[in-house]
This record gives sequence, C-alpha cells and structure tokens, in this order.
Amino acid sequence: MASEVNTDFLHNKKLDSIAADILRPVGITQGFVVWMGFLGVSLLGCIYAYYIQFDKGLIVTGLRDYISWGMYIANFVFFVATSLVGMLISSILGLIGFKWVKPIARIAEIIAVAFAAIAGLVIVSDMGRPERLPYVFMYGRIQSPIIWDVTVVTTYMVISALLYFLPLIPDLAISKGRIGHTPKWLQSTYEILSVNWQHTPQQYKILLKAMRILLILIIPTAFAIHTVTSWLFAVTLRPGWDSTIFGPYFLTGAFVAGSAAVVIVMYFVRTNYKLEKYLTHHHFDMMGKLLVLVSIIYLYFNINEYLLPAFKMKTAEAVHIHDLFVGEYAFMFWCVQLLGLIIPIILLLFKVFRKPFSMLVISIFVLVAAWFKRYLIVVPTQDHPFLPKQFVPDAWMVYHPTVIETAITVGTLLLVIIIITILVKLFPVIPIWEMAEEQTGNDESPQD
Amino acid sequence: MIKRYLSLLIIVLISLHLSAQEWVVPAENGARLSPFAFSDSTRKAGAELYNTNCKSCHGDPGKNNVIKLVPPPPDPASAKMQSNPDGALHFKIAEGKTPMPSFKNILSSVNIWQIISYIRSFNDKYVQKTQTKPGGSGAAGENAKIKIAWLKETHQVQTFISATKEKVIQPVAGTEVKLFVKRYFGNLPIDEARNTDAEGKALFSFPKDLPGDSAGFVQLIVKLSDEAAFGEVKADTTLAIALPTYRPPLNEKRAMWNVVQKAPIWLLLAYTFSVLAAWGFIIYVFLQIRVIYRAGIRKDQ
Ligand code: HEC
Repeated sequence: MASEVNTDFLHNKKLDSIAADILRPVGITQGFVVWMGFLGVSLLGCIYAYYIQFDKGLIVTGLRDYISWGMYIANFVFFVATSLVGMLISSILGLIGFKWVKPIARIAEIIAVAFAAIAGLVIVSDMGRPERLPYVFMYGRIQSPIIWDVTVVTTYMVISALLYFLPLIPDLAISKGRIGHTPKWLQSTYEILSVNWQHTPQQYKILLKAMRILLILIIPTAFAIHTVTSWLFAVTLRPGWDSTIFGPYFLTGAFVAGSAAVVIVMYFVRTNYKLEKYLTHHHFDMMGKLLVLVSIIYLYFNINEYLLPAFKMKTAEAVHIHDLFVGEYAFMFWCVQLLGLIIPIILLLFKVFRKPFSMLVISIFVLVAAWFKRYLIVVPTQDHPFLPKQFVPDAWMVYHPTVIETAITVGTLLLVIIIITILVKLFPVIPIWEMAEEQTGNDESPQD
Repeated sequence: MIKRYLSLLIIVLISLHLSAQEWVVPAENGARLSPFAFSDSTRKAGAELYNTNCKSCHGDPGKNNVIKLVPPPPDPASAKMQSNPDGALHFKIAEGKTPMPSFKNILSSVNIWQIISYIRSFNDKYVQKTQTKPGGSGAAGENAKIKIAWLKETHQVQTFISATKEKVIQPVAGTEVKLFVKRYFGNLPIDEARNTDAEGKALFSFPKDLPGDSAGFVQLIVKLSDEAAFGEVKADTTLAIALPTYRPPLNEKRAMWNVVQKAPIWLLLAYTFSVLAAWGFIIYVFLQIRVIYRAGIRKDQ
C-alpha cells in the first residue's frame, strides 16, 4: 500500500462510474427483505432451541461427562478458523503488494468480523450456566489457555472491525451524495460513520498510518488467536490432541476454510450485484491458486499429524487412529480428506476449474468439510479417556448431537450470515476509492 | 544369565500357582466369633466403612459390579463370600491375599466385625453366634489400661499395662503388646511385637529417622494383641519424637496450577505486555479517528 494517496481520482470521471456500479445494489431491496425475513424466522426457531437449553441445562444436548466438548466447540474452532482469512488477505497479501486483493479485501474483512464476533457467542452456547460468564473475568486464571483465548478473540475482533471500518470511511464520504435511492436512516448512518471525511491529504495520511499499524498488528494477533485455540487441545496429553504441530496445523487449516468462505461470498456478490467488472475471472483464478496453495500446506500438515502416530502406533494413539481410519469415524474422516482437501487440490490445479462457478462448488465442499474436520478433531479423542469408562449409563458412552444442539449451532451460522448480509448489502462491498485511485493511477502512468 | 532368568520364571510361576490356590484359614481363626451382637447401628457403621475401604473393588453388594482383577473379588452378597464362617471373614479381611489388601493395620478388629455385620445383612439365612465373654475374673483381669512413656536417652517407647484383678489394679505380665505410628493411610508397625515383663512393662526402640509433622509430632498407638482376654484395648498419644518434616504444599510457590495471584512471573509479564501492546495500538488508532474527525471540522470552516 502506498503511503501517499494521490487524490486526483476525486476529480476523475472514473470515480462516478465506479461509485455508480458499486452503490447501485446498496439499500433495502425486496430481495434483501425476503432473505432477511427468511433468516430471521429461522433464527427464531433456533433461539427457541436455545431457550430450552437455557431453561433445562446442557442435559438437552448429547454432551455428558466423557464427551463434554461436542458440536459447539467444533463449531467454535471452525468460526475462529474461518475468521482468520481477514488477516491473510488484507494483511499478508496486501502488505506484500498484491494489487488483485484490493476488491476482495473488504469481503475478507467482513468474513473476519462476522465469524469472530459470533465465535464468542458459540462459546456461551456451550455453557450450562451462561449467567456465570462474568466469573471468567472475576476468577479466571491467566495460566489457563481459555483466558488467553478469550483475550485474543476479543482483540482480533476489534482489530478486524477497525480494519473493516477504516478503509470504509472515504467510501462513506464518497457515497453520501450518491445514495439518494436508499432510506433516510441509512443516509444519516453514512453521514455519522464518515466522521467528517473531507478527502484532505492530511486525513488520508492519518488513515493510511492507522491502517498500516493495524495491518501489522493483526498478524501476531491472528497467529495468537488460532494457535491459542489449538492449545486448548494440545496442552493435554490425550491421543489426537497431544501434538506439537497443533498451532501451525490449525493456522493452515484456518486459511483453507477462510479462503473458501471468501470465494463463496465473492461469487454471490459478483452475480447478484452484477459486479463482474470488479470481481473478474482473474480474481477467481488468483483465489483458486491461493486456495490450492493453502490446501497443499494443510495437506502436508495432515500427513504429519496422522501418518506419524499411525507409523508408531502407541497404544492409546493407535485406538484413536484406528477409529479415524477404519473405525467409527472412518466415513466422515475419508469424506473430509478426499472431498474437502485432496480432490479440490487436484481440480484446482487446472485452470478450467478456477472459473467462478466451479470455484463456488469446490469452495462449498471445502468449507463444509472444514466444519466436519473440526468435529473430527474435537470429538473422537474424548471417546477414549485414559481411564476406561465404566459403571456409567449407556447414554454417556457415545456422543450423538441432539436436535436442540444442532438447531443452536445452525442459529450461530445464521447470525454470521445475517451480519455478512447486512454489511454486504447496506455498505459498499468493494472499496470505491481504492479502485478509483488505482485506475486513475494507471491512466497517468501506464508503465506501472 | 539365562539360568537366572529361568529360575526367576520358575519362581514367578510357582508363586502364581500358589496364589491361585485355596485361601486357607487356620482353624482357630476360622472359629472366632464377634464379641458383640450385630445390630442396625453396627450395620450402619459397617456400611460406611465398606464404602470407603472395600467398594472400589468389591462393588455394590448384590450388583456384581466388581472390579476386574485376577482372581476377581467376590460380591459380598455372593454365596462364595457368605459361605465363609464369621471367623474366616475376619481373618481374610485382616490378613488379605494379593491382590486383596490386608486391613489389620488400617481397621480395628471392631471395625472389621462391623463390616462383617454389614456383609451378613445381604444373607437372609444368616443367624449370628456371639462370643461368650472370657471369664470375668479370669487370669487376665478386667479393665486393662495402657500407659505410654517416652524414654529420651535411649530413644525408646515404654508401655505399661495394668488390669483390675481381684479388685486390685495390678501390672499384667507376659501379654503381647504392639506399637504403631499413625500414617496417612493406615498404621505403621514400629519394632516387633513385645511381651510385657513381670512389671507389666514393654520396651520398643523407636527409629531416629521417622518423619513427623512440621514440629516432629507423631501419633503413637499401642494395642493389646490378646483381644479374646481383654477385648479391644488401645491407647494413643501424640509426642514430638520424630523428625520435624516440612513438605511445602504444592500450591505454596508460584506455579501454572496455582491461583491467579500466584501465577508465574514470566507469564504475568508476557500476558500483560502483549495485552497492553495490542490495546495500546488499538486505542491509538481510535484516537486517530478522532483526529480525522477534527481535521474535517477545520476544513469545513
Ligand atoms: C484392591 C481391591 C480390593 C479391596 C480394596 C478389597 N478387596 Fe477383598 N478381595 C479382593 C480380591 C481380588 C479378592 C479375591 C482374593 C482371592 O480369592 O484370592 C478379595 C477377597 C475378599 C474376601 C474373601 C472372599 C472369599 O472368597 O472367601 C473377603 C471376605 C473380602 N475380600 C472382603 C473385603 C473387605 C471387607 C474389604 C474392605 C475392608 C475388601 N475386601 C477390600 C480385592 C479387594
């Protein structure tokens, strides 16, 4: 990112056409109302499910003494993982200087904010006595990775929100006079949020400096958030969790899930908002290459994570590996590895599959597999405690998520989709000023 | 070398064979009877003792949820257990036989009889026979008493046994006395069992390296072996005669497992520093937004 902004673009005719393209879909349309209505009604059902759990306690879930971390924690890990893509795209790729990430960066940030914000709620859904949440802060011990996790998740969420908001400020100012077709309250929201933005060079300078700070700060924070999440498991001695590579293993897995999520949102934004000019085949091609790169790294970590224990077959590990490879979880395990990792890698190596629609299909597979992958990391390990299960009711022996549990999990996903929908629909989803600046710059210095 | 292993193997095999054999109870022990009649209160006391000492292996009586051991511990309600005469049960519980632990230093004889009364409550056909009291004015005497003294110079414990015989308190000679020290789990026998001399005294040498509490205190317990003659007689006293031992509690120093006030310094520093650094920058950015806002006002004017 340049440290100076050439504000010439403000007087360029291009700005008008770009702003018109990007702002056309913004506002409350009928489609938006129907979609939000659908999400809202479904969410009500899920909230009712949560009411039952709140009333009766975790007994309405499949969780018992032995398997006490189930779908909820798997879902939490998935949320944290997916949110990490904000850091990968806007920070790492942006700082390196890849120009193609510009129109995608805001989408990545939206995903980061939405998933990180709801991740905290997912944890609360796993609490039998959620009213005791303040105890975490009153009596929490900083020796516990859970406290580290609470700390980094909050920090990451705030930084992501700022990284979404800061580059939005000039856009809000540009849009102010151009969204006459939207309701009054939305226009005044733009007015307030644009914090008196006048496009002065000084304002741009401050903005760029602030963003640069955050773009650097978010790298260690993002590494911390997912490494610490992996430590929630890896600090124990249990087979399947007792691993020294859990941090990087989780981190690379996170990039896979996040990149897939970005592709999915990109696809819907592009087709619904007719933004083919901005989210081009080139962008899908690049995202495809990115996805294949992170997937190959993740595959490499998977091989390390499963092949070594499978080679040594230490007693307790062997039971776990057996469960995954040929036992109870084999079907899910191989589906996840093949459909969510190996086949996508192979397909994405070919340019024909890096087209928008095939990318969408592949990314859906990758993302769904990523969810089940977290389930496979969290649940099977608890099936085999070191002290054998005995003298307990049969229901404690195995874990089957209940309908209520599933509904609550679906509810958290709905919340994420609602946040993404609002941010994508009511605010410019592609950075107008950065696109205009880039195109103006290109006009003047074609050799660039 | 191989020979040595072979002989070791043979020894192991023989001992395995031996341990798989019948559990023989000496006839005189098998014939013993409880000195008191079993009642609801003895059964209640027995149930409590059973739950703390035996349930982990023998399970809930009648439910057959015993722990998997070789040989398996029989369920107390089972015919195998109930076919034992009272005296045999007492002997087996007191002596034990691998893997069944010995309880004679952990439970008193009365405690064991209480457990037996509880075990018998799972047998409808059981009719109790109690011990007939040994001759009231018999040779041994009544109301036996134990006094304990510490002989500092020789590092010995001296016990003195007396009993009322023909209405006079007299020393008891030639009876067996045992000395124990109370430990965390059970009682530790000290020295050998001794017989009292003509003055009713017995001397036990006390080890110099026995750890006591932080001030060197230990609890001594003295028992008379001849329960048939005296009933259960024991005395205890607490003396500062052992090595003062201070074992710092695991939560005394700063540690990962301690409360937050005793968290390791490096962790406190690392955590605080990271949080302050990250939030310092975040707050700085928030302030910058304010600066942007102010700059906009100036431009307006
Ligand atoms: C460490 C496990 C363990 C504990 C604790 C334990 N037992 Fe046992 N017990 C056994 C085993 C094993 C046997 C079988 C031994 C054999 O047959 O060689 C056994 C045998 C017995 C027998 C003999 C039964 C027969 O076949 O004649 C009695 C009586 C008995 N236990 C009573 C008790 C009582 C009373 C307690 C508690 C004060 C107790 N046990 C605590 C493991 C245990």
